[in-house]
Amino acid sequence: MEFLSPVWPAATTARPPKKRPVTLAGARVALVDDNLDIPFTTHLETLLTERTGAKVRRLVKPSGTAPSPSSLIDDAAGSDVAVVGIGL
Amino acid sequence: MDLVSERLNVDDYDEAVELFYRNRWTDGLPIVLPTRGRVEAMIAASRRDPQQSLGPVPPKGGAATIEKLAINAVMGGCLPEHFPVVIAAMQAMMEPAHNLNGVLQTTHMCVSLVIVNGPNARRLGFNSRDGVFGNGYRANAAVGRAVRLALWNLGGAFPWDTDKSTLSHPGEYAFCIAEEEEDNPWRPLHVERGCPEGSDAVTVFACEGPHSVFCYGTPAEMLHVLTDSMCSLGNNNVHVLGQTLITLNPLNAEEFAKRGWSKDDIRRYLWEHARRRIGDVRACGVVHEQFRQMERDAGRYPHRYDLDNPTTRLPVTPTPDDIHIVVAGGRSYFAAVLPGWGGFGGFAVTRRIEWSS
Repeated sequence: MEFLSPVWPAATTARPPKKRPVTLAGARVALVDDNLDIPFTTHLETLLTERTGAKVRRLVKPSGTAPSPSSLIDDAAGSDVAVVGIGL
Repeated sequence: MDLVSERLNVDDYDEAVELFYRNRWTDGLPIVLPTRGRVEAMIAASRRDPQQSLGPVPPKGGAATIEKLAINAVMGGCLPEHFPVVIAAMQAMMEPAHNLNGVLQTTHMCVSLVIVNGPNARRLGFNSRDGVFGNGYRANAAVGRAVRLALWNLGGAFPWDTDKSTLSHPGEYAFCIAEEEEDNPWRPLHVERGCPEGSDAVTVFACEGPHSVFCYGTPAEMLHVLTDSMCSLGNNNVHVLGQTLITLNPLNAEEFAKRGWSKDDIRRYLWEHARRRIGDVRACGVVHEQFRQMERDAGRYPHRYDLDNPTTRLPVTPTPDDIHIVVAGGRSYFAAVLPGWGGFGGFAVTRRIEWSS
């Protein structure tokens, strides 16, 4: 008895992950603000800056309930570290 | 017919169903086996190229090709003549205004409702009368489930993974109704939304399950109950606007129309009266307040509502047009309110159904 698969095959190749920095001190951190919990994100930005010495740049998504525009993803990818998925 | 999906072989149906469960290719219920013959019949009914894609289905981005949609439509129990309705529903859901990515993964319990309109709804056996949100009708159940299975297998938002719905609702299995157009004094939903008279269309809207509204009597009495039901503090609309759906039964609609009420009259009345005082809304807590402020900062909450004025009464939608009204159900005492996701999306989108002939 033959039938057809309802799904697409899983991707077999994944891009290798970026090398993790040893320390956040001086690292360029892209903080992607989901625009869902602004006070929390501001608190996180302060902690990252003051406790780790990271150079934090905040990138604000137009909507916390839709994917980031590709330009924002490309921008974040240029940093040493990106923090994404912040929300309630 | 050139099909590209992986072919799988099993000894019998029982083994096939267990394979679907093991691979998580089904929603928790058994499926109709998508054999090549059934899938080809489905595709033939659409007269489309099997490899035509409607686009990537969020969040994981599987391509919604006609072939993959047909496979999932077979699994859901569709007949070939149902398939154009499934395609139109998927097209509507994938419009940016619906924000399918968000609808499928939010903590809120909204699910995309499919509303079928037009003369072919009756011919295909869609129920628009007694028990319209319930069971018993193949067209509602099969089209509703086909859409959900396509989202499941191509989008891949699973409740143990990225579908973060806190409670969800049973419409995750199938959530499809037809509007009653014969026993209805007004223009049907799709015509109000720009489709020609006599055409067929689907409208999708992400909403909670139907909340019962004991709604019987004069227009003033019915409106009194509807306004109260629409602005319950627990629904998102009270806090972040968006859109909402009212389902009136044909007797309700007849009573309104007899006394000269149009759907626009009802919308305007509901919009003006289904409101909460800012103090009531503020008492819900700081998180609600924060969401409302964020919506305002993002330009989605009109500035004309003075949030600092204690006399302000907040509406549940930005405009009367964001209150959708559908006539469906039995001639009885009950209407329903189906609140939306709020200003975040899930907004109503209407698409014509394209028949092959």
